[in-house]
Amino acid sequence: MLSLNPQTKKKLKRFRAIKRGYYSFVILCGLLIVGLFGELLVNNRALLVRYQGELYFPTYTEFHPGTDFGLNYSYETNYRELQARFEQEGGSDWVLMPLVPYGPYENHTTGQVFRPEPPSFEHAHYLGTDTTSRDILARLFYGTRIALFFSIAFMVAVYCIGIVIGCAMGYFGGIFDLLFQRLIEIWSNIPFLYMVIIVFSVIPSTFSIPTRIAILLTVLVLFSWTGMTYYMRTETYKEKARDYIASARVVGASNSRIIFHHVLPNVLSTLVTFMPFTMVSAITSITALDFLGFGLPPPTPSLGELLKQGTATLRTAPWIVTAAFGTLVILLTLVTFIGEAIRESFDPRKFTVYR
Amino acid sequence: MKTPNQILTLLLCFGLLTGCGGSSEDASSQEPAPDNTAEVQAYYAAHPDFFSFKTLADLPTDLVWQDGSELPDIGSPDAKKGGTQYGSLQDFPRTLRTVGPDSNGSFRPMILDYTTLQLAHRHPDDFKFHPGTAKAWAVDEANKTIYVKLNPEARWSDDVPVTTDDFMFMFFFYQSDYIVAPWYNNWYGTQYTNITKFDEHTFSITIPEAKPDMDSRVLGLRGLPQHFFKELGDDYVERYQWRFAPTTGPYVVRDEDIRKGRSIALTRLKDWWARDNKFWRNRYNADRIQMTVIRETPKVFEAFRRGDIDQFGLNLAEYWYEKLPDDDPDVQNGYIHKSVFYNQRPRPTYGLWINTSKPHLDNLDVRVGIHHATNWELVIDRFFRGDFARLQTSSDGYGEFSHPILKARTFDIDEALAAFARAGFQERGPDGILTNDQGQRLSFTLTTGYESLKDVLTILKEEAAKAGLELRLEVLDGTAAWKKVQEKKHDMQFSALSVSLEMYPRFWETYHSDNAYDDAFLDDGSVNPERQVKTQTNNMEMLAIYEMDQMIDAYRASSNKREMIDLAHRMTQLHHDHASWVPGFFQPFYRLGHWRWVRYPEFFNHRHSSSAGQYFVHWIDTDLKQQTRDAMSSDQVFEPQLQVFDQFKSDP
Repeated sequence: MLSLNPQTKKKLKRFRAIKRGYYSFVILCGLLIVGLFGELLVNNRALLVRYQGELYFPTYTEFHPGTDFGLNYSYETNYRELQARFEQEGGSDWVLMPLVPYGPYENHTTGQVFRPEPPSFEHAHYLGTDTTSRDILARLFYGTRIALFFSIAFMVAVYCIGIVIGCAMGYFGGIFDLLFQRLIEIWSNIPFLYMVIIVFSVIPSTFSIPTRIAILLTVLVLFSWTGMTYYMRTETYKEKARDYIASARVVGASNSRIIFHHVLPNVLSTLVTFMPFTMVSAITSITALDFLGFGLPPPTPSLGELLKQGTATLRTAPWIVTAAFGTLVILLTLVTFIGEAIRESFDPRKFTVYR
Repeated sequence: MKTPNQILTLLLCFGLLTGCGGSSEDASSQEPAPDNTAEVQAYYAAHPDFFSFKTLADLPTDLVWQDGSELPDIGSPDAKKGGTQYGSLQDFPRTLRTVGPDSNGSFRPMILDYTTLQLAHRHPDDFKFHPGTAKAWAVDEANKTIYVKLNPEARWSDDVPVTTDDFMFMFFFYQSDYIVAPWYNNWYGTQYTNITKFDEHTFSITIPEAKPDMDSRVLGLRGLPQHFFKELGDDYVERYQWRFAPTTGPYVVRDEDIRKGRSIALTRLKDWWARDNKFWRNRYNADRIQMTVIRETPKVFEAFRRGDIDQFGLNLAEYWYEKLPDDDPDVQNGYIHKSVFYNQRPRPTYGLWINTSKPHLDNLDVRVGIHHATNWELVIDRFFRGDFARLQTSSDGYGEFSHPILKARTFDIDEALAAFARAGFQERGPDGILTNDQGQRLSFTLTTGYESLKDVLTILKEEAAKAGLELRLEVLDGTAAWKKVQEKKHDMQFSALSVSLEMYPRFWETYHSDNAYDDAFLDDGSVNPERQVKTQTNNMEMLAIYEMDQMIDAYRASSNKREMIDLAHRMTQLHHDHASWVPGFFQPFYRLGHWRWVRYPEFFNHRHSSSAGQYFVHWIDTDLKQQTRDAMSSDQVFEPQLQVFDQFKSDP
């Protein structure tokens, strides 16, 4: 539908030429891919266990009770202890743990009490632990993963709604446009934060965590698509008045063909430019909501929750806030660099004062 | 789309909105003020059984009057008056009324519970009563009546004397619909049956049932200034929203000290009527108590570290051990003192309240399994660092009334698995959670309104998974959680009911079937098949046992202490066997950090105190404050003060 025309190819080439944005893009993609296979890197389940001549791959399988490996309990095996045990016994059995051998939910203290512990390579808590002795790196990793995928889902949803309604408003105009404009004005005046609080107070907790995240996403999308329609509407209006649209209509092209084949490719640059910033806003919203306690249900790992913990323990455990804040800054910087690069490469005027 | 800036603006608006609620001026005060004197008199006349008028000649002559004068003083004679005490509030009070909508906030104790006088008060060391606005009282057990002589010196803060009329009016007030407070309507309408006026300073109050502690029902009353509430009417809620009612206590709130949304101050009356009274003279020492709104605890702590506020509760291990450790320079230099005080009083019931009307939770084996699957020992040892202790029953801390030997079930995975297996949950699913042969998972929602204690629940959740039990955490806003539980919509909830200093535990509120269902049982004691869930009660376990009802009724009707103790033990045992409440933890002490200029008596505080400030026995030494400030700028140090007051510590 949207095949690459020479114009677009040129834009992409320009994007590649802007090194800062391009490398940010590569890093972010890398992060997303790493995130997809995160369970292999950060997990309290072993990658590989060799026990009595058999190999086990616990990462993606059903849980293995301790009895599977000759331990005396029926709950999930503690693979770190198993590893230590096998090493001690010195037999042919061994355990291969991921790089970070902790899950995001586990309370693992190296001492006697649950308290924030500073980063330690010896215990593989590379970023330290939080107030209940959970590994910060593990929580950051999974928190970031959720934030990233959340923001992508958010972006896709907002764009779908925004493009459809915005284009329709611009293209059909008249009463339809007028009506929707008023609707959008009313809708966008509903206080978003209150709505989130109200909606969250009525969601039954029997829903699983993924469902609740989906509901949060829906609520955020419902109150965020309106902004997109303004841009789409004006762009479509602009394009609609052009001669090539008129000729397409004379030739007898249908409305949908005109919208998808003629209008949309031409307003694409506006869309693409906004994409990274939409992501930024999604990441910030979810972090802000978590910070306020209206976001993801506990104990889901999240950047906002870590930030909150961090600000409460600024003096005593500065590594918490450093880790969370650092991650947020890096993430937002990456996305912003990409955004700038896209804006620049999709700008039809190659040489502008605005650089 | 929302940009970060827009979100920030939204958040700011949100903050502002919550910050400036109710700043409207009282326009109605321009009109001539209404006067309800006639209405009140008509009400008295319409209820002659409740409001009686007699003369002193009618007063029984065989009464044994008590005045608590044999009890020891409260506080320290070293206390110095003066100075300003600086504190903080998490939220600005939504009203200065002490009754009606929004009045039950965290500020109310400062203008009601802690700073105003009841007829008499339980002595904080002794449990017996010492006088407040009453001078003497007598108990007529046979007629379920308490006779009271008011102290003729007692005055409201606007210098009007406290009289019998203020107590008669109190009943009119609390029974009226104007105050929009159904609990008060019910309590003052059903728990008292008569008030008789003998003269301006003598009256008697009758209650429906004789109890071993029946005196506390009456002596705990505070009159209401009738002259101030003359304007009581349909607009009570708005009319009195920001008017500070005259008080019998030492502190008043002056209009100029109310800075809405920001701060509020209490000012000490220099000529308070009880200032030389035996039980009051060493207390309420600060001239002014200035409280500023600081919403977040970490910020309150920072303000404390700067000396902007005088004291900070260090109950949480995180604060005691890490944020203000013993080797902190300010502590080591003796500028900030750290004190631990072990108290003795009924303990708030922190634990898991299991809704036994929910599927699977109605099964005793599942509930017993839950008991064994919750690792409170780990929470206490690791999270609370061994400072707290395990609650054993739901009525700990009532002396003889508490069960002497009953112990809470301990964390034991094998016991838990065995119990769950008896209930049909035998197979572990792919994630290790038990399932039954219909494929149902052993999974329950655990609701709480305690954001600050959510870490406790995450630990419990991780541990419960080992026993094949899934706890889905639901951390709600305090009000939302309470509402959900009051609607009986929860599976399990984590919370505590606060308990006041009482002689014996209450059972009716939490365990009587009247508070679980409408008509729970038929006349023969069998379960009524058509019973309906009753909402808005504190029976949060939906506990309905016919035998328990019988015992509670006997307990409530009994005036024999031995019998009541026996019943209390049997009910506690039955409740334990029913396994619908998992005992959590309690804190056998309170601890705090206070700047050097905040002085406490040598014994620090009294046995039954719930917090350091409750009885106002501390004082602010302004000279010491100056000295400390000077010392801090000239690097002069003092002896560090890390004190543990364990004179009331009971053996574990």
